[in-house]
Amino acid sequence: MSGAEVGQIAMNALLLSGVLAVVALGFALVWGITNIVNLAHGAFIVIGAYVTFGLHDFWSMDPFLSIPISMAALFALGFLIQRALINQIIRAPLLATFLLTFGLESLIVNLLRFFFRADTRSVMTAYSGAALALGPVRVPYIRLGALGVSILLVLLLAAFLTRSRLGRAIRATGMDVDAARLTGVKVATVYAITFGIGAALAGAAGSLLSMIVPFDPNLGGGYTERAFIICVLGGLGNVVNVLAGAAAYSVVEVVVGSRLPAFSQAITFGMLVLLLAVRPQGIAGKAFS
Amino acid sequence: MARAVLLAVVLAALLLVPSLVSPYTLLTYTSALCLALMAQGWNLIGGYTGYAAFGNVAFVGIGAYTTGLLMLSRWHVPFVPALFAAALVSALLATVIGIPVLRLKGHYFAIATLGVAEAFREIASAWDDLTNGATGIDLPVRSDSRFFYYVALALVVGGIVITARLERSKLGYGWVAIREDQDAARMLGIDTTVFKVAAFALSAAFAACAGGIIAYQDIHVAPDDFFKIEYTLQMIIACIIGGTGTVWGPPVGAAVYQLLSTYVWSHFLELHPTVLGVLIILFVVFLPRGLMDLFRRMAAVARGGRFGSDVFLANVRASRLE
Amino acid sequence: MRTLSALVILLGALPALAADTLVFGAAISITGKTAKEGEYTRDGYQFAIDRINQMGGIRVGGKTYQVALKYYDDETKPERTAQLFEKLINEDKVNLLLGPYGSSPTGTAAPIAERYRIPMVEANGAAESIFSKGYKYSFMIISPARMYLRGIIDAVRAIDPSAKTVAVLGENESFSKEVAVGAAEYARGKGMNVVYDELYPTNAQDVSALLTAIKGKRPDLILGSGHLQDSLLTVKQSRDLGVSPKAMGFSVGPSTPEFRANLGKSADYIFGGTQWTEALEYEGDDPWKTPKAFSEAFRATHPNYDTTPYQVAESAAAVIAYQRAIEKAGSIEPTKVRDALAAVDMMTYFGRIKFDARGVNVYKPMAVEQYQPDGKKYTVWPREVAEKPPVYPMPPWDKR
Repeated sequence: MSGAEVGQIAMNALLLSGVLAVVALGFALVWGITNIVNLAHGAFIVIGAYVTFGLHDFWSMDPFLSIPISMAALFALGFLIQRALINQIIRAPLLATFLLTFGLESLIVNLLRFFFRADTRSVMTAYSGAALALGPVRVPYIRLGALGVSILLVLLLAAFLTRSRLGRAIRATGMDVDAARLTGVKVATVYAITFGIGAALAGAAGSLLSMIVPFDPNLGGGYTERAFIICVLGGLGNVVNVLAGAAAYSVVEVVVGSRLPAFSQAITFGMLVLLLAVRPQGIAGKAFS
Repeated sequence: MARAVLLAVVLAALLLVPSLVSPYTLLTYTSALCLALMAQGWNLIGGYTGYAAFGNVAFVGIGAYTTGLLMLSRWHVPFVPALFAAALVSALLATVIGIPVLRLKGHYFAIATLGVAEAFREIASAWDDLTNGATGIDLPVRSDSRFFYYVALALVVGGIVITARLERSKLGYGWVAIREDQDAARMLGIDTTVFKVAAFALSAAFAACAGGIIAYQDIHVAPDDFFKIEYTLQMIIACIIGGTGTVWGPPVGAAVYQLLSTYVWSHFLELHPTVLGVLIILFVVFLPRGLMDLFRRMAAVARGGRFGSDVFLANVRASRLE
Repeated sequence: MRTLSALVILLGALPALAADTLVFGAAISITGKTAKEGEYTRDGYQFAIDRINQMGGIRVGGKTYQVALKYYDDETKPERTAQLFEKLINEDKVNLLLGPYGSSPTGTAAPIAERYRIPMVEANGAAESIFSKGYKYSFMIISPARMYLRGIIDAVRAIDPSAKTVAVLGENESFSKEVAVGAAEYARGKGMNVVYDELYPTNAQDVSALLTAIKGKRPDLILGSGHLQDSLLTVKQSRDLGVSPKAMGFSVGPSTPEFRANLGKSADYIFGGTQWTEALEYEGDDPWKTPKAFSEAFRATHPNYDTTPYQVAESAAAVIAYQRAIEKAGSIEPTKVRDALAAVDMMTYFGRIKFDARGVNVYKPMAVEQYQPDGKKYTVWPREVAEKPPVYPMPPWDKR
């Protein structure tokens, strides 16, 4: 392996971790606060990708500018879905929430396929494919921009959770529902807002992915799995934990992918199972704080 | 007494089915029986023991490959012994995997089993020398669709008997105790690890039998056709529809699921997966305890109880957050 | 009066009743992952069947048969395919079988055809593994998987004999794997040095890891075998990472209209293997004779198609092969039609149709298409039937 290759692999891992951090943050937030493992997270990502694609295709809107729109749309959708559906079974056994979110995933993906067909889409801009050269290492502008957006979103979320009243109420609910309720927090509303934020982050991730990879309605599934692995790796403790998980996972994926591509998924899943077997309680605590 | 008569009639009807329907229709019945078999297996770990196993398809695939590879090996093992060997291999593997994985709880257990299934699929795709990789293996051709039907039917009936026996055994009571409160079960002197691993291994044996039958009937075994998450979901959905942790839930649920699926498939071609998604959601929200629970309530009505839409609403109220 | 008109209607209906109907059965993916390709397949079958009926049907001895298609949706699920073939044979009593779309469904359908001794001509499953099992009733009308990338290697070597190194990356799935293995073997046989040869998992969202490794090897030629999405991803990420070989080609992808729609100018210079294009200059003995005439006739009846996909052409060719075999056999008896199929040797708008001992049409070469800088796609290989010579080498990404 040449130095240039090592440098490029390191850069690939860094760029990948930015997007995966956004993917995993929304998932981790929902899991940590409401104790729902949202298997429809990937479907939200796909919707985000189609929002950006649609705005770019019809109104030639720059894909980066469409990110806030995609997030707003997904926040509304997430909020409604939590209110109308997930809230109905939130105290049911784990299996019910699992199946419900899985049914949602299947529903959303198939509706997307019904409306958009299985055609592959890409968002092409004037700057697609252009890259910054750091010696032999290439940094595509789009991925650099995506990394920038990811960092911004992470900082905003961290600030929101620690500085704002609502953010503190969300964290309090995540730590102890009953205590939060006693202090006057409307738990159902907090849960719906949390779910909405998770969906909005998925929407942002989808917008970013639409610029990076060609996609169709099946884009999302792999990202739900990745989000889970990242949460297990890093833990749900706080934003920093998720970032660490995303970074660790990205390094493994990129390095294994460049050496043993055919086994990359087997190794990733093997690693997950092994990790869980060694640390049955997961890597870190439950609540998001 | 009435119950015994009903059972005898149902069994006789099931035995007569092959002479009444076309070979194609019989194939769909065999599929339903195989699903019932998988669901019966899942019911032991997911229903009675309360562990949300999301990777039982791993054992369907292992059963399919073991059956196929033994039949194709130089010993040309006949189908039935190969099927039993497959069940045994699956149960052993499940024991080895179960010992570490069953220490996990809740979501972590669910995803770990999902990871196990995915890992097995990738291994089957990548291990060219044994499994012929993504190309898959081909079993000898057997065109007798009645044979598959009767084998599957015998195993499902056997499964019902075994489940009914286990339900009233020390093992069965132990499983339910673990589901209700693991710590309390441990304090009662139940060796929770042994009990859980037993449930997991048994569930794997059931799945392997279904996998072996499907493999021999379909002739071709490839990683993506057998290690697919759809099987896991179908067995869980069949259990939910019928009722988890009951003897009759899984076979009834499998039959209903297959009927619904066939109906939806022939009437809403394009939207088929969407409609199934909606059905899953409706069942989870309104009938989380399944049809067996509904039947019990209806039987109670027949004995003079009250019944109305409030049954469904009560289910909703029990799990929603105000 | 009323009786009379009823009689007239009855008489008018008689010829249609008198003519026997020969039914082809197929399970095709109308929904699921390959829904679109399944539609092409169905439209190809139906188009050829309509044309034959228009010309009076198939003549067998003294009798004339009208032809019909009976199909079901297999949802791109191979086990469903097998069940539906059982249904077609047992319940619908179809006379002969046409293949499903895709290698895996074809693989599960072939044993059913074998079991009931009814021939199946398939036009959309290129994996040869199906044909290494000694089946006698399955026939593959298309060039097999291992030939998919040969034309690209040949085209490049013809222009630039100094192109010595090649990198192959493929999806780990039965068809794509055969394509990749076949391409690497063929390149080695031509004295080229295969500097990289790896498979990646199906549904990959990222191949930058492989491309980073390939970049270090500086190959002259990069060949990819996977599905449309994989080829788009490979081109896009090659550009991102500045991986600039002298030529780049794919087994699947460039021949679809979506390729350019997704890649824009990045599609330029990319080669694609294809079973058929309407620009090929074949002269055939069939209802259409030339690819151009076939394509024009198809689009005249199917205005919703902008171009004629090769899946349509190959599927229609399967019906044409049947027509010839049935006429030669002088019977619609499945075993006799099977023997006649084994002996078919004809030139068509689709290219030569002839099956080897396994039932594979290895006699038709793969064509190569290329997007050229004027924004259009041209058939550039085989040289004798090509529209334009290939443009080579491809300029580095940063010099465009």
